[in-house]
Amino acid sequence: MVRRWLVAMTAVVMVFALVLAACSGKKESSSQPSASPSASTGGQSSSSDQSGSRDKVTFRMFVAVQGEKDVNTNETVIGKILEEQTGVNFRIEHLVGDLQTKIGTMVAGKDYPDVLVPDDGIETVIKAGGFIDLTPYIDNDKYPNIKKVYGPYKNLMTWDDGKIYIFPFSVVVNDYIGDPNINQGAFWIQRRVLEWANFPKIKTVDQYFQLIEDFINAHPNEDLIGFITLTDGWRFFATTNVPNHLAGYPNDGEVMVDMNTFEARIYAGTEWDKRWWQKLNELNAKGLFYKASFTDNYDQYIANLTSHKVLGFFDYGWQVGNATAVLNDAARADPSQDGYRYFPLPVVFDENIKDQYLDPIGYVANRGFGITVNAKDPERIIEFIDHLLKEETQILLNWGIEGETYIRDSNGRLTRTQEMIDKMDQKFLEEYGFTVFDWDWPHWGSNSTLSDGNAVIPGMQPEVFQLSLTDADKKFLSAYGVKSYAELFADPDPRPWFPAWGIPRDEERQLFEALKGDVQREYLPKLVLSKPEEFESIWNQYVSALNRLDIAGYEKWYTEKVQAVMAKAQGQ
Amino acid sequence: MEHPLMLKPTSAATVDTKTGGLKRFFRLLWKQRALVLMSVPFVLWLFLFRYVPLWGWIISFQDYQLGKGLWDQEWVGFKQFEALFNEPRFWRALRNTIVMSFINLVLGFTTAITLALLLNELRQIVFKRVVQTISYLPHFISWVVAAGIIQVTLAPDGIVNELLLRLGLIKDELLFLGIGEWFWGIYGVSIVWKDVGWNAIIYLAAIAMIDPSLYEAAEMDGANRFRKMWHVTLPGIRPVIVVLLILNIGYLLESGFEPQFLLGNGMNMRYSENIDIFVLKYGIQLFNFSLAVAAGMFRTVVSVILLVIANSIARRLNETRLY
Repeated sequence: MVRRWLVAMTAVVMVFALVLAACSGKKESSSQPSASPSASTGGQSSSSDQSGSRDKVTFRMFVAVQGEKDVNTNETVIGKILEEQTGVNFRIEHLVGDLQTKIGTMVAGKDYPDVLVPDDGIETVIKAGGFIDLTPYIDNDKYPNIKKVYGPYKNLMTWDDGKIYIFPFSVVVNDYIGDPNINQGAFWIQRRVLEWANFPKIKTVDQYFQLIEDFINAHPNEDLIGFITLTDGWRFFATTNVPNHLAGYPNDGEVMVDMNTFEARIYAGTEWDKRWWQKLNELNAKGLFYKASFTDNYDQYIANLTSHKVLGFFDYGWQVGNATAVLNDAARADPSQDGYRYFPLPVVFDENIKDQYLDPIGYVANRGFGITVNAKDPERIIEFIDHLLKEETQILLNWGIEGETYIRDSNGRLTRTQEMIDKMDQKFLEEYGFTVFDWDWPHWGSNSTLSDGNAVIPGMQPEVFQLSLTDADKKFLSAYGVKSYAELFADPDPRPWFPAWGIPRDEERQLFEALKGDVQREYLPKLVLSKPEEFESIWNQYVSALNRLDIAGYEKWYTEKVQAVMAKAQGQ
Repeated sequence: MEHPLMLKPTSAATVDTKTGGLKRFFRLLWKQRALVLMSVPFVLWLFLFRYVPLWGWIISFQDYQLGKGLWDQEWVGFKQFEALFNEPRFWRALRNTIVMSFINLVLGFTTAITLALLLNELRQIVFKRVVQTISYLPHFISWVVAAGIIQVTLAPDGIVNELLLRLGLIKDELLFLGIGEWFWGIYGVSIVWKDVGWNAIIYLAAIAMIDPSLYEAAEMDGANRFRKMWHVTLPGIRPVIVVLLILNIGYLLESGFEPQFLLGNGMNMRYSENIDIFVLKYGIQLFNFSLAVAAGMFRTVVSVILLVIANSIARRLNETRLY
């Protein structure tokens, strides 16, 4: 009996010891790369299994964006070619769960991958000293392509402490080309509504809602929803940004910037804000507003957009991509379904306001790609980036391989055949590597052009856009006398600070935004869902709750930042 | 967490002879060496993962900045606690936490015990198994899915509104999750739906341990079903109830995170935001770890106090009953 106890005991103890050993073993292996950068800056003979610098190497990359697949770049067609050219492979991991928690643990434990795309967590990583200084590589003749793409932006890329930590994503190379599609904000309306009303010109928000109301009155038995809005989690800005756009400003985040004085003012609690919420309040009183907008999550919102019941909504094109793709596919398979797709409209408050829905040539300073202090071989990564930024490589990453995924016509214009477009479903794009190399790498910004005038991004190329149009699309566009959706919208005025949300915020400003968001979360539903006669008193409560926050400090801080960017941009 | 019933015999045995106490202790230790050895890994685990991390509490007295070493941080004394206690939101979060835990405690206990008693009375084995399986299945659904089900059920075009409209009880659809005052009720019902079957299992096991001769004796005395339930079954599972109650009181300041996070929205925020969500929003998401730790520390201290009080009350009650 005693012996059996002992055997069991020893087993338990051994298991425990194993667990302990496994834990500590992991610690050691993860701390090894962090110890090596000082010894291996030259890039040779640092790790025992690599002797020559041209040997194959795998770097770890973490991208703080949810919902994408983890992948080795060399498992894709494009990534394989890049590996053959440079010997470099990246193992990409994506975010699961909460961004701040993940970045926080990474920083606290100094457990960085080789390269990091921290999305919203960028200030935290920089403040904690997680990134190496890129200054020596930007204007360096050893890296001609980096110099060509990022050299002109050197001033804007420089952080307050005089160093450069990230390669931003929105740098324009060569001539600027606009997006023919609407991927940014717009008021969307179901296409059958426009067709039913014989393609009316819609300019103001009153006309927009009147049209929806008329359509519902003409179709009383269809159980239709007039207007819906998205309020889930961080996507709440799709609801709060609306008055800003209606007043004729682009998406500068929480503020509108005066074009003459360059003063930044928040629009929450202003007359613009009041006008919009009063409008929704009236809409709700008529039974045209979808009440559960304020309780539904993102998935339910997307499901509603594909239900054929929703006539109108405001959102950013990229945010409803899942819904519009489903509707597009259905309409391609069965053209009678086309009426359930959505059409973008540049709606504003008054006839005399110029819409500014299209993004100006912008520069986002606080999103980018950085090399961490744990990186095994920063020089090698920089070399790889220089290779990525070559014009040929950019063509490979965006257009693919000639004859396979694009053709060059007799005029030297790049385009695709219908056949090529048809085979490019999501699965193909992933396996080929287009989705892997789309945004999270140092690249020529989406609005760039090649040296021969072709667009870098196929979606921006007019020829490709025309090919993507269905007969119904062409009917709608010609009814409005335009060739692309973007032509419906006014050209953007130059705003060098744009987007203001791309200016890194400090702790106090972040706290202000969190508090402001909570005030809005509480009061906006009340404003919309209350009885019209109660609106005024709730509005006053909302404004006084907002006024308890440090609005003046926030505006002052933002004004200074905007004016600093203006000075920097003009100083170049 | 010594259970009073288990504590009694050992303390009685060691106290009676004070001089030989140490000797007796070692003799007992040797006698139970196998048991003691087996418990060593778990005590070590407890120490390593539950006590060692406590030293991290010191960051609640700092203005913790990521990336700097713990000893390079700025010390700020009780600033974080002051900020916490001066924040009306924190007190609201505390209130919501306590109320929802209380709902959880009361509803959780009464429904689970009732279900166990009822199941125990069933003669039809097949029916009993089916009911038990159905009632504990929701426990295995992730809260993300469960919250989705609840949202769809309570939506303006959901089944509950449909039913009430058809019955003529309401004129317009209600936005259930948009009425803050109702959040606690919805929370309570969801918790019961999700966990009642699971919680009943332990009581069913306890009921199965009751000596059948007690029932026979009660029957001889002419007790009907309800009498037997009241005088035999309930006293039989009383120790289990008391132990679970004490344990759960220790968790009073942890009303969970997922249901409130997933079902919460701007309209019911005043009632759904509990300490966990407060810490996430104003601590972790703003990288203010010091505040987060201060809130966690406050919660732990209160929990320990509650636990000790509940335990001593239970011990006293048990003693009066025993003697």
